[in-house]
Amino acid sequence: MKKFLVAILAVFAVVGAFAVGGKLVIAMETEPVGLDPHLVTAFASHRVLENIYDSLLKYGDGMKLLPNLAEEAQAVDPYTIVFKIREGVKFHDGTPLTVEDVLFSFQRILNPDTKSPAAAFYQDVESIKAIGDNKIEFKLKKPMASALLPNFAGVNSSIVSKKFVESGKNMQLETNGTGPFYLAEYVPGNYMILKKNPYYFVKDQPQLDEIKIVFMPEEVSRVAALKNGDVDIAKINEPLNLKQFPEGKFKIYRSPVLSYYLIGINTTRKPLNDPRVRNALNYAINREAIIKAVVFSEGVVTGPLNPAVQPWALQPKAFDEYTYNPAKAKELLAQAGYPNGFEFEIVTSQRYNFDKVAQVIQAQLAEIGVKVKIALVEWGIFIKRWRESDFDAFISMNSGSIEPDVQFYRTFHTGGSTNVFLYSNPKVDELLDLGRSEVDISKRKAIYDELQRIIVKESPVIFLYSANQIFVSNASVEGFKLLANESLVFLRETYKK
Amino acid sequence: MSLGYLIRRIITSIPTVLFVAFVVFIMIHLVPGDVVDMILGTQNYLTKEQINQLYKQYGLDKPLIVQFGIWLKNLATLDFGTSLRTGKKVIDLIFDRFPVTLELSVLSMFFATIIGIPLGIIAAIKKNSFVDGLVRVIGLIGLSSPSFWVGAILIVIFAGLFQGFNIFGYVHMKEDILKNLQVMFLPSLTLGLMLSAQIMRMTRSSMLDVLQQEYMKTAKAKGVSYSKLIGKHALKNALIPIITLSGIQLGYLLAGTIVIENMFALPGLGRLLLQAVNERDYPVIQFVVMFIALVIVVLNIIVDFIYTLVDPRVELR
Repeated sequence: MKKFLVAILAVFAVVGAFAVGGKLVIAMETEPVGLDPHLVTAFASHRVLENIYDSLLKYGDGMKLLPNLAEEAQAVDPYTIVFKIREGVKFHDGTPLTVEDVLFSFQRILNPDTKSPAAAFYQDVESIKAIGDNKIEFKLKKPMASALLPNFAGVNSSIVSKKFVESGKNMQLETNGTGPFYLAEYVPGNYMILKKNPYYFVKDQPQLDEIKIVFMPEEVSRVAALKNGDVDIAKINEPLNLKQFPEGKFKIYRSPVLSYYLIGINTTRKPLNDPRVRNALNYAINREAIIKAVVFSEGVVTGPLNPAVQPWALQPKAFDEYTYNPAKAKELLAQAGYPNGFEFEIVTSQRYNFDKVAQVIQAQLAEIGVKVKIALVEWGIFIKRWRESDFDAFISMNSGSIEPDVQFYRTFHTGGSTNVFLYSNPKVDELLDLGRSEVDISKRKAIYDELQRIIVKESPVIFLYSANQIFVSNASVEGFKLLANESLVFLRETYKK
Repeated sequence: MSLGYLIRRIITSIPTVLFVAFVVFIMIHLVPGDVVDMILGTQNYLTKEQINQLYKQYGLDKPLIVQFGIWLKNLATLDFGTSLRTGKKVIDLIFDRFPVTLELSVLSMFFATIIGIPLGIIAAIKKNSFVDGLVRVIGLIGLSSPSFWVGAILIVIFAGLFQGFNIFGYVHMKEDILKNLQVMFLPSLTLGLMLSAQIMRMTRSSMLDVLQQEYMKTAKAKGVSYSKLIGKHALKNALIPIITLSGIQLGYLLAGTIVIENMFALPGLGRLLLQAVNERDYPVIQFVVMFIALVIVVLNIIVDFIYTLVDPRVELR
């Protein structure tokens, strides 16, 4: 009898181990702002839409670029990329995906009337055309095929249905993608329900039948909801809260991210227009201490690229300026004519702990006689001042990229669209142009190494740290993984025991 | 209340509501940052021309006064505008969200009165006793505790002690009334506790005032039972200032649920307003605030009407 029971239990255990499907409730802090994949800029929209729409390429483990709707991507030469479109893919409404849809999607992105942020990625594309009925070719004005490829994996480059868009649907409210889930219900301010796409082209995916995304702006609510069993998985921003989740009952997921904290400096205002002064701040800042104080050691020191971004990133040790050295800082200040320090203002906002970082910086700089006045402003005011370069310095976060060209070109090139630092250096411009057009990986690496060293030495931006992203789930959740770009694409592989 | 009075009150309220709308319009446009800034964030992808096109698309390229004129004109034709960020009609958003806030406010008021009035009465009857002192201290704590703190404490207690009790995940009343009440319990208790302190203090002082009146002594001398004395003679007369306070509080509640709705993830008007302010979604902010002003005006009229029921000496003409 005992043996019989054991056998039955064993069968149940095996069945349990293979059981997939079910419904997962995930708590997110912010709600999507719009659902048109070609228009959305909000992080929260991207996290939802990447599960509804597909792009030609996608990111896999370790941020590797992988085929997606394109089963092959080939840089034929530095000026030409050819994608072979996967066959047998269907949109959520059951219509098959064709080369026409792919062509239409990029035409829509590039159409100035669409006002797609992704248009900027493809501004150096000369022509896009279909070859036969399963290939599409991009001809580029500049030899930048490899620098362009990562853009094809972004939500803003999603493939939409020509028929659906042309039928006049409001894409900000309705969706029709090829992704693993379709949007079944959206109650603004409350929740979103994504259901399994029965046509999804990857076999055995998604595992879940349904994902309910509930919007909970307050961390205390997400923590309580998780403990109370109201949600299965939640994003946690405050590492201190992790103490509330005992091992065994809960699983903690943490991973480094591409985004990082920084001090941006207006390089045209005195005395910060002097590179020596900016560099002195670099030496006077103890990055490890900030990480300890603000995120309880849940983070890593970062250079111009997060150390996790391989092969491009130089490790923090490569920069002498990252060694905490107040004496050297004072020496540099004296050389620049400020032996007794000076005063400047840091504009910051309460989002993402920016204000806490500012406070630690304030204390650290006080040690070399530099007085920091913190201007804590509301987010709208922050953005306004950021866009108008109306600051001595600010504390913010950069979203980061695995492609150095995407990361650096618009940020540090003279007149670049996010060069709010008003930084201009002919050598840097030259390197940025070279890096963009070079196709040989080792030569590109050398170019970006040099660029990173110059940027740290000149310090229009003082790079600080990258905080870990943290999620907590109950023990029944399996297969959930995090990506450095904070994407939630692995929800398609997640299931509940 | 005569019909003429009612019509007069409604007509005289229109300028108030429009004035509120105008002030809000000016104020939200004076705050730095606009919807285009919010869309772009610190990821400035668009070209100058594209950005100008966005301003044009949202009608933000016109002078402020023209924008307000257009808004008024649309209002006259019952076009309440469209959310700049979501593309949804503002009126639909309000209809979706208002019931949640209304329910939260009514339930909070319920908790506030069932806690506040009895405690106030007890304190008044037992004036200067230990019980009175205790109630007054509790009231003081209630008045000085911020709602987000009380909410957080309640969440921690309930999530820890009552596993399985639905704290989060708003369910509409029509779907499941029991679940709805479970989810609404903590947020309305939080708000109710805050309000009950004021109601309790008002009840106490109002009761004390009434208890000293001559007619109370007369009633007592005539041998009216104690419970009738308090319940009928004293409480009824003490109620008028409590009704006024509750009316004002209900209006305050409708506008002041922002913190609690965010904390308990309730899809109400307060949360909609906060989100709209963060996104600089002008049409939503403008209409939500005007709507709240309108509700407060209506509430005031209702409170006036209740006076006449409680105190026949009050006549509205």
